[in-house]
Amino acid sequence: MKFWRNLNWEGRVGAALLAVLILMALLASVLAPGDPLAISGDPLLRPFTVAAHPLGTDRLGRDVLAGLMHGTRTTLLVAFFSAAAALVVGSIVGTLAGFLGGVGDAILMRITEAFQTVPGFLLALAAISITGPSVPTLIFAISLGNWTQAARVTRAEVLSLRERDFVAAARTLGMHPLEIAFREILPNAYGPTGSLAAISVAAAILIEAALSFLGFGDPNRVTWGSMIAEGRTVLRSAPYLSIVPGIALVVTVLAVHLIGRGLFPSGRLQP
Amino acid sequence: MSRIIFNRRAFLASTASAAAMASLGRSGWATEAAPVKGGRLVVAGDSEPANLNPAIVASNGVFFVASKVIEPLAEQAYEGKDGLSPRLATSWEGSADGLTATFKLREGVTWHDGKPFTSADVAFSALEVWKKLQNLGRVVFKNLERVETPDEQTAILKFSQPTPFQLIRNALPVVTSVVPKHIYEGTDIAKNPANQQLVGTGPFKFGEYKPGEYYLLKRNDAYWQKDEPLLDEIVYQFLPDRAAAGNALEAEQIQLAAFSAVPLADLDRISKVPGLKVYANGYEGLTYQLIVEINHRRKELADIRVRQALAHAIDHDFVVKTIFLGYAKSSSGPVPAYDKTFFEPDVTKYDFDPAKAEALLDEAGYKRGADGNRFTLKLLPAPFFNETKQFGDYLRQALAKVGIDAQIVSNDTPAHLKAVYTDHAFDITVATPVYRSDPAISMTILFESGLPAGVPFSNQYGYANAEIDKLIKDAASTIDADKRAGLYKELQKKVADDLPLINVAEFSFITVARDTVQNVSDNPRWAVSNWSNVWLKQ
Amino acid sequence: MPPLVSLFLKRLLGALPVLAIVLVGSFLLLEAASGDAVDAYVARSGALDAEQMTQLRQEWGLDKGPVYRFKAYASALATGDLGWSTAFERPVASVILERLPITLLLMVLATALAFLFGSLLGVIAGARPGSVRDRFLSIASLAVYAVPGFWLGLVLIVIFAVDLRWLPIGGIESIASGKAGLARLADIAAHLVLPVTSLATVYLALYLRLMRDRMSEIWHEPFVQALRARGLGRSRIVWRHIARNAVLPVVTMLGLQAAAMLGGSVVVESVFAIPGFGRLAAEAVARRDTPLLLGIILCSAVTVIFANLLVDLAYGRLDPRVRTGR
Repeated sequence: MKFWRNLNWEGRVGAALLAVLILMALLASVLAPGDPLAISGDPLLRPFTVAAHPLGTDRLGRDVLAGLMHGTRTTLLVAFFSAAAALVVGSIVGTLAGFLGGVGDAILMRITEAFQTVPGFLLALAAISITGPSVPTLIFAISLGNWTQAARVTRAEVLSLRERDFVAAARTLGMHPLEIAFREILPNAYGPTGSLAAISVAAAILIEAALSFLGFGDPNRVTWGSMIAEGRTVLRSAPYLSIVPGIALVVTVLAVHLIGRGLFPSGRLQP
Repeated sequence: MSRIIFNRRAFLASTASAAAMASLGRSGWATEAAPVKGGRLVVAGDSEPANLNPAIVASNGVFFVASKVIEPLAEQAYEGKDGLSPRLATSWEGSADGLTATFKLREGVTWHDGKPFTSADVAFSALEVWKKLQNLGRVVFKNLERVETPDEQTAILKFSQPTPFQLIRNALPVVTSVVPKHIYEGTDIAKNPANQQLVGTGPFKFGEYKPGEYYLLKRNDAYWQKDEPLLDEIVYQFLPDRAAAGNALEAEQIQLAAFSAVPLADLDRISKVPGLKVYANGYEGLTYQLIVEINHRRKELADIRVRQALAHAIDHDFVVKTIFLGYAKSSSGPVPAYDKTFFEPDVTKYDFDPAKAEALLDEAGYKRGADGNRFTLKLLPAPFFNETKQFGDYLRQALAKVGIDAQIVSNDTPAHLKAVYTDHAFDITVATPVYRSDPAISMTILFESGLPAGVPFSNQYGYANAEIDKLIKDAASTIDADKRAGLYKELQKKVADDLPLINVAEFSFITVARDTVQNVSDNPRWAVSNWSNVWLKQ
Repeated sequence: MPPLVSLFLKRLLGALPVLAIVLVGSFLLLEAASGDAVDAYVARSGALDAEQMTQLRQEWGLDKGPVYRFKAYASALATGDLGWSTAFERPVASVILERLPITLLLMVLATALAFLFGSLLGVIAGARPGSVRDRFLSIASLAVYAVPGFWLGLVLIVIFAVDLRWLPIGGIESIASGKAGLARLADIAAHLVLPVTSLATVYLALYLRLMRDRMSEIWHEPFVQALRARGLGRSRIVWRHIARNAVLPVVTMLGLQAAAMLGGSVVVESVFAIPGFGRLAAEAVARRDTPLLLGIILCSAVTVIFANLLVDLAYGRLDPRVRTGR
C-alpha cells in the first residue's frame, strides 16, 4: 500500500485504469471464452444491437468485445515487454558507457548514435518483414529502435552520479567497478529512466498499431492495432470497428502516462 | 442493346450475386447517348512496374497501363469468332498439323513515332521478345522456330513441334503484344528505355511518368480506328492505401477504380453514393482461383482421406457470401465455369460437412488428442489480397472445428514465395493462381510433377501422379481442339478425385466508376484492354 | 567554405564510424531476410521459369556471396556511387533524389508546426501549473498522443477531403495541371495541409508536455522565487525567464525526433499517397531492394546528423550560457 500512498491523484487514476486493463487481460478467457478469432455471429453487427455481441462483430463475424478483451492481453504483453527490453538494454548500455568512459564509452555511444540516426520505425518495419510477425519478433523489432533514449539518459545520470560521495565510498570499500555501476549507480539513475518507461510503453503500442496497419501483425493473435487496421477499410460504413479499439488504446496510453507522472512527479524527459 | 443483354447474360452465368446484379442493371442504359470526344479520365493506379513492356512482362499490373499504348494481335470479346475481336491482326488460321499459324495484319497502322507497322515487327516480337523473354510466351512459343513474312501484312509462325492452334488463339490477347522492331533491334531488349517510355500502335501515347505519383497517357491522333480514341488523356494516380480509392472516388478526384481498388467491404456503401456505379463484370478473362495448396511431403496430408477431410471442412457458401460478399463463385476445379470450352462441371464435389470430415480423419487414424487436436498444420496465406488473408483466418477457424490446429504464418510477398515455392516450408497455404484463357498457359503447372524448385505458382507440393502427368503431356501436343478440350476435362475429373490441391472459389474484380464514364466493362478483359471507346459524358 | 558547410562536413567526418555501423547493420539485416529481389520481382510479373530467375539473379549479382556483394557495394560507395536499384531499374541516387525533397518538406513543416504550437500551448499550460487549463491541456495532449497517426490521417481525409471537399485527398500536387509559380506553390500547400497535420500532431503533444513539465519545474527554482520577490510581473517572468529556459529541452528533442519523424512519414506518406522517402523505404523492404534500402538508410542518417547540427546551432543561439556556437 506504500505504492498507493506515494502516488498523487494522477498516478492513482492511472493505476486504477491500468488495474482494470490488467484485469481485463487476465479474465479474458473467463469473460470471453474460446478463441477470440472464432467466427461467432453474423458479420458487421452494430454495437448494442445484439445481446450476444454487445460491441458488435467485424467483417467475418468475430466478436468485437472478445477481440478487445483478448487484445488487451497481447497488446499489453507486446507493449510492456518491448518497453522493458528497451529500458533494460538501454540502461545497461548507458551504465556501462558512463562508467567505463574512454574507448568503451566511445564505442558504445557510437553504436547508440548509429541506432539513433536510423528511424526506429523503419528498423522495426525491416526487422519484422524479415522475421515475419509473431509476438516475440514484434517485441524484438519494437525494442530495436526504442532503447537508445534510455541509454543516453542513464549514461548522463551515471556521469553525474559517479563522482558523488556514495560512489567514492563504495570505491574505497574496494567494490569492483562494475559492481559499483550496477549496484550503486544504476538504481540511483532510475528516476529519469522510469519516466521514460511511460513514453516507451505508449510508443510500443503505437508502433505495433502502425505495423499492423502496414500488414505486419501476428495473425494468430488479436491486438488493438490489428483491429484498428482491419477496421479502416470500413471506416465509413462501420466506424465502431476502429473506434472501439482506438478508445482502448487511448485509455491505456493515458493510464501508463499518468502512472509515470504519479511515480516520478519531478521526472521528465531528459533529452 | 444487344450487347447489354449479352453482358448481363454472361454475367448471370458467372455470378449469382443479387447485389452485383442490381448494380449492373442500373449501369446498362448509359450507352444510349452519342459519344463525346475529349476529357481526362483519372484512374486509381495499381503498381509501378520497373518494366512496363507487356511483350516482356505479361502481367495485369503492366497491362493495366500498357494495353492502351501497345496492342496485341487480338483482344477478347463477349461476342465474335473464337471470343476474340481483331486488333493488329485481322484474321488468323492454324494448319492441321499444328506446325503453322498464319496471321493477316491490319493495314495502315503506324507506330507512335510515325514509322509504319509491318509483319517484320510481328516476326521480331515473336522470336526475340515473346519466345525469349516473356514470362508466358516462353511456354506458348516454346517450339516456335521461325516467322515467315511473305509480305508486309502477313506473318506465318512456324513451329518445330506440333503446337495446338487453340492454345495460341486463346493466348493471343495476353502473349502477343507487338513492339516496334526499329526501336528494339540491336539493343539489349530487357534494358531498352522504351520498356518505360513505351512506343506502340495503340490509341494512347505514353505521356509522362512521375514515380510515386502518376502515369499520363495522351491520345494518339493517328490511331487506325477512325474516330477513336475518345478521351484526350488517361491518368493513373497511385494510391497506395487500400482505403484511398473509395475516398478519392467519392471526393471526385478520380473517376474510376479497377481491380477491386475499392475494398469489397466498402462496396455496399459506395454503391449507394449518388454518381457512382459498381461493375462486377469485365474481368471474366482474368479469373483468379482461390485455392488451398497442400504439401504432400507431410505424412498426414499425403493421405487422400485427410485431404478430403480438409475439403469437407470448408464452407464455400461462407467464403462466397461473407469473405467475397457475393462477388465470387464457389468452384470445384481449376477451370473457371465461364470457360465453356474447357470447363467440366461433372466432377467429384465435396460438400461442407464437418461431421464427415471428422469421420474421415478418425478413419485415417488421426484421432483427437486430449486437447481436442488431431495434429498441427502450418498455414501460409498468400499476402496478395485482403481476401486471401481473410480466408486464411477463416480456414484456421474451420479446421479448428474438425480438430486440426492450423497456425498461421504470415509473410510478406518475397518471403512467402520463397517459403512456399523454393523452401517448401509450409503444410497448407492459401493461394490465388490466375486462369489465363487456356489450361496450358498457367494451370497445368499446378499439377505437373518434376518441376525444379523455385518456380513460383507451380507444383512445388511434392505431388506426383503419373496419370495426370500423362494427360498433361498428351494435351500439350494434341492439335484437334475438341480432343484437346476432352483431355483437359479428364484432367479436371482426376484432380477433383485425387485432390492435389483444393479449389474453393473463383473470383475476379470489381470496377467502381463515376456514372459519367461510358463503355465500362464491355469486354472480358476490360481493365487491361485499350479503352479506345471510353468516353466521358459531360 | 562557409562555416556552416565546413562544420557539417566536420560532423559528417566524425559520424563516419556511426555510418559504417549503420551500413553493416542494415546489410546484415537484409541478408537475414527470406526471399530476395527476384522473388519480389516474380510476384509482380506473375510468373517466371527457373531459367529466367537464375538469369536475373546473375544480372543483379545475387548469385554471389554476401561478403563479395558487400565489398562491391562498399567500394562503389567510396567513389560516391550508391548502386543500382533492382526495384526501379535505375540508379539509387536518382530514385532517392526524386523523393528526398518531398519528405524533407513534409518533415520541416511538421516540425515547425509541432514546435510552434506545442511550445506555445506548453507555455499556456505551464504558466500556471495545476490550473484548470493546465490539467485540460495535459490530459488532452495525452489523449492526442495516443491516437495512431494513420488513423488520424484517415479520419482527416474523410472529414476534410471527402465530406467537406476543402482539401485534396492525397498526392503532392495536382496531376499534370500545368500550374507554375505561385499557383503551383498554393496547390502543393493545399496538398500538404492534412499530411503535415497528421504527422505533426503527436509531436505537438510531446513538445507541449515537455515544455509544460520543464516550466513547472523551473517555477520552483530559486531564481524565479527571487524574480517574484522583486515584484516582476507574472507574464514577464513566464515569457522572458521561464519559457526561455524551458524551450531548451524542446529544442534538443527536435533533433532527437528527426529520425522518429522520418519513420512516421512511412505511414503518413502511404495514407496520403505522397511520393516520399518513407514510402520508398517501405517499398524497398517489400521488394528486397538492398542497394536502395541501404541508400535510404544512409541518406536518412545524414539527414538526421544535419538536423542535429542545426539544433545545436539553434541551441547555442537560445541558451544564454552557450554563446559561441562551438
